[in-house]
Amino acid sequence: MIRIDNLVKSFGPSNAVDGISFDVPQGAFLVLVGPSGCGKSTMLRMLAGLEQPTSGTVTFGEKVVSDGAKGWTIDPAQRDTGLVFQSYALWPHMTVAGNVDWPLKVAGMGKPERQARVTEVLKMLGIEALAARYPNEISGGQQQRVAIARMIAPRPSILLFDEPLSNLDAKLRVEMRTELLRVHRATGATSVYVTHDQVEAMTMATHVAVLNKGRVEQFGTPEELVQNPATAFVATFVGTPPANLVPISILPAARRGGLPPDGLAMYRPEDIGVSEVPDATTVAMDFAEASPVAGRTMLTGISGALRITAVVDAKPRLTVGDQVHFVLPETPAALFAPSGERLS
Amino acid sequence: MSTDTARPMTRPIRIDGKLVLKLVVLAILGVLIAAPLLRILFETLSPDAIEAWSDVTSGRLARNLLWVPLGNTLILGVAVACGCVLIGGFLAWLVVMTDVPFRRTIGLMATLPFMIPSFATALAWGSLFKNSRVGGQTGFLEGLGLTIPDWLSWGMVPTLIVLIAHYYSLAFTVIAAALATVNSDLVEAAQMAGAKRGRILMGIVLPVALPAVVAGASLTFAGAVSNFAAPALLGLPVRMQTMATRLYGLIEVGQTARGYVIAILLILVSALFLWLGNKVISGRRSYATITGKGGRAKRFTLGAARLPLLLLAGLICLLTTVVPVVILIASSLAPSSSALFSNWTLHYWTGVSDPSIAQGQAGIFSNPFIVSATGLTMSLGVAVAITTTIIGLIVAYVLARDGKGPLAGIINQVSFLPLLVPGIAFGAAYIALFGAPIGPFPALYGTFTLLLIAGTAYLLPFSVQTGRAVIQQVSGDLDESARMTGAGFLRRLTSITVPLASRGLAAGGLIVFVKIMRDLSLVVLLFTPTMPVLSVLAYRYASEGFTQFANAITVVILVISIAATLLANQLQSKSQPWLKS
Repeated sequence: MIRIDNLVKSFGPSNAVDGISFDVPQGAFLVLVGPSGCGKSTMLRMLAGLEQPTSGTVTFGEKVVSDGAKGWTIDPAQRDTGLVFQSYALWPHMTVAGNVDWPLKVAGMGKPERQARVTEVLKMLGIEALAARYPNEISGGQQQRVAIARMIAPRPSILLFDEPLSNLDAKLRVEMRTELLRVHRATGATSVYVTHDQVEAMTMATHVAVLNKGRVEQFGTPEELVQNPATAFVATFVGTPPANLVPISILPAARRGGLPPDGLAMYRPEDIGVSEVPDATTVAMDFAEASPVAGRTMLTGISGALRITAVVDAKPRLTVGDQVHFVLPETPAALFAPSGERLS
Repeated sequence: MSTDTARPMTRPIRIDGKLVLKLVVLAILGVLIAAPLLRILFETLSPDAIEAWSDVTSGRLARNLLWVPLGNTLILGVAVACGCVLIGGFLAWLVVMTDVPFRRTIGLMATLPFMIPSFATALAWGSLFKNSRVGGQTGFLEGLGLTIPDWLSWGMVPTLIVLIAHYYSLAFTVIAAALATVNSDLVEAAQMAGAKRGRILMGIVLPVALPAVVAGASLTFAGAVSNFAAPALLGLPVRMQTMATRLYGLIEVGQTARGYVIAILLILVSALFLWLGNKVISGRRSYATITGKGGRAKRFTLGAARLPLLLLAGLICLLTTVVPVVILIASSLAPSSSALFSNWTLHYWTGVSDPSIAQGQAGIFSNPFIVSATGLTMSLGVAVAITTTIIGLIVAYVLARDGKGPLAGIINQVSFLPLLVPGIAFGAAYIALFGAPIGPFPALYGTFTLLLIAGTAYLLPFSVQTGRAVIQQVSGDLDESARMTGAGFLRRLTSITVPLASRGLAAGGLIVFVKIMRDLSLVVLLFTPTMPVLSVLAYRYASEGFTQFANAITVVILVISIAATLLANQLQSKSQPWLKS
């Protein structure tokens, strides 16, 4: 179990992490997701023991491993964690096998044992054929596998990943997602995974913490986040495509009834239709783009800073700049105050 | 394919522009670089000279001609390389990887000693540590009443110290640049594995930086074995010979064949180690840097060691930069180097001839010979800077446009050959080739032209590098994007290429200018009284005991060099990635 209690990390006057608390159970796959600069990497580095919290505590199981107020933190190596860096941080002067072997050697494991473990993890990641190669002689995806093998070799009980897939191309990314989940299950460890890509969060996580400006916007399962976003930020950040937020002031008259005068109404893309003619339930937008999605069409219109995306069955014949009328459902799926908090 | 049959059977003989340009470049390089080196080799193989080889290697005099100087040279090379890597590596580690205060200042100071010519440092050493063993004025420390032992005053130890003080900044620059590319992720990954500081240093940081350490060692080794000034000023008075001083001595007394043999052997020694160093680095498959996102700079915390290490670094920097310069200035003003800071006079700078002082030598600014030498040296610097920049640019252009094929390979190799050749041996090669008339051409010995072409050839590797950097910067995307706008060739040249390239070229030219200004080893053999060069004048004054004049001239060289270097840095707005915090 990982328990994070009121964790703060400041760099100079600004708080990169500003009072974060949550618990995740043993064996969970926690994803920290948020835009760049939201504090997610700093969180991960505090979990790894590479940064010391300014205040608050981190507890692994029953053991407090970092205590900001007391100003101490257990050494990275004593925390039973492994970390995959965004850059992979493979040591360029060691072979693939050497990279996996070195942490075991530092840990004082005997040679035969080490050899067996290195072979085992290389096999597990399907890179045993690369054992004698150097990091610069293998591809990015293979380097990624080496970094994972190196992390799991000492059998840490917590696996930490810092945007591990961001340097890979789109296809490899999808493959490695599956691979990571397999490693996660096979090791039975608790994983914490940092990304700015909400698709990764939604597909891999058992628990997601959406971070923004050093705070948790929402903590929950992927389903909860999509079904029940707690803030306007979460509503527009998660889901493929994410939900639409429309200012109540520009809603058509027939849809405004019973809503507060200002604030934001949330509509799911699958609940919105399109029409070629305006009526009392439509919003007029300029057609921007359309793409086929699993037999349906995802269609986006813009008007000033507002974007509305709908998922519809048939693609209307439109070219960029044409007017398109989005038909809004009877009631919005959720309402948010102008400040972003959830109203209903 | 139909194109084959459609092609006319007899193609008009077309002049291949690319090929012609390559041949022209090859011819220039051949005359400038290959010919002198080949000539010096053949000179020693001619029937009347061939026995010089056996004289030098196995004859009655071989011990004194070759083996003892070779031993001294190797001792100097190895010890200087070790000392430079230790000191330069220590400072680089401190500046790049730790939280020592004043990192930026230390980093800047550590690059300065290389800008101070080694004869300046050697002269400063003499002004401080000279004892009465060889007569003449004693140094400042004896003047204070201390007794300086011979080993600290003359010979191997002072030569070593002076060379290390001069070359360590070379090792610093190379190692610091390499350490700056060590992603701090690599260190943190080792921390995650539980390695302690010492283990991280030995297991991760050092191996990753090893290529730079080897490069630093082989460069400083090559520098030390080819250095003429320090052993000549500090070793010759007590008959300590290195290959460089032996070569100089043999040519001075007219035993040119033996001198040429020594020159060839010196080239071999220097090139062998540079080649070995290169082999060690390129032989390892493991060292291409892996780039990736991330990598914030996280520094080692030194804790209680912070201040002592700062003091140590500061001391090293001060002793190798400020102290020698201050001593040089003081001793150019003091009538007696045993009392450096008293009775200061401007006589050695501006005084008119006075029979009671320094055998009637006038101050350097009142000595028309020295004034004209200053003008000559500066014109030489400017001329070499211009010619070498032009040739370097052409070579770089030819290589950039078509770098494949055996011809380009030869051009590439030959243009970097002078890096392997010690300056004094290069000078000897030039005498061998141009010392006598060639066909209709008169002998060039003692002419400005000889100095000019020797300097141009010697510094060509640097200007080819400059040219490459400039072409890389200008060609490609930038030029193509200008082309996309429809700008014609001339328009692109004037508004894109020239503005972008001129700063880089000017900076490169200034560096060449500085290298010529303070060079001694190349010109010391080419020097004639009709073509006086400042550095050789300083050396002559010093060896005749007129240290004040020597030091005053050296100060002039220093001032000009430093001004030009600062200007060059300004132009390049030199990026020093390892200084970023």
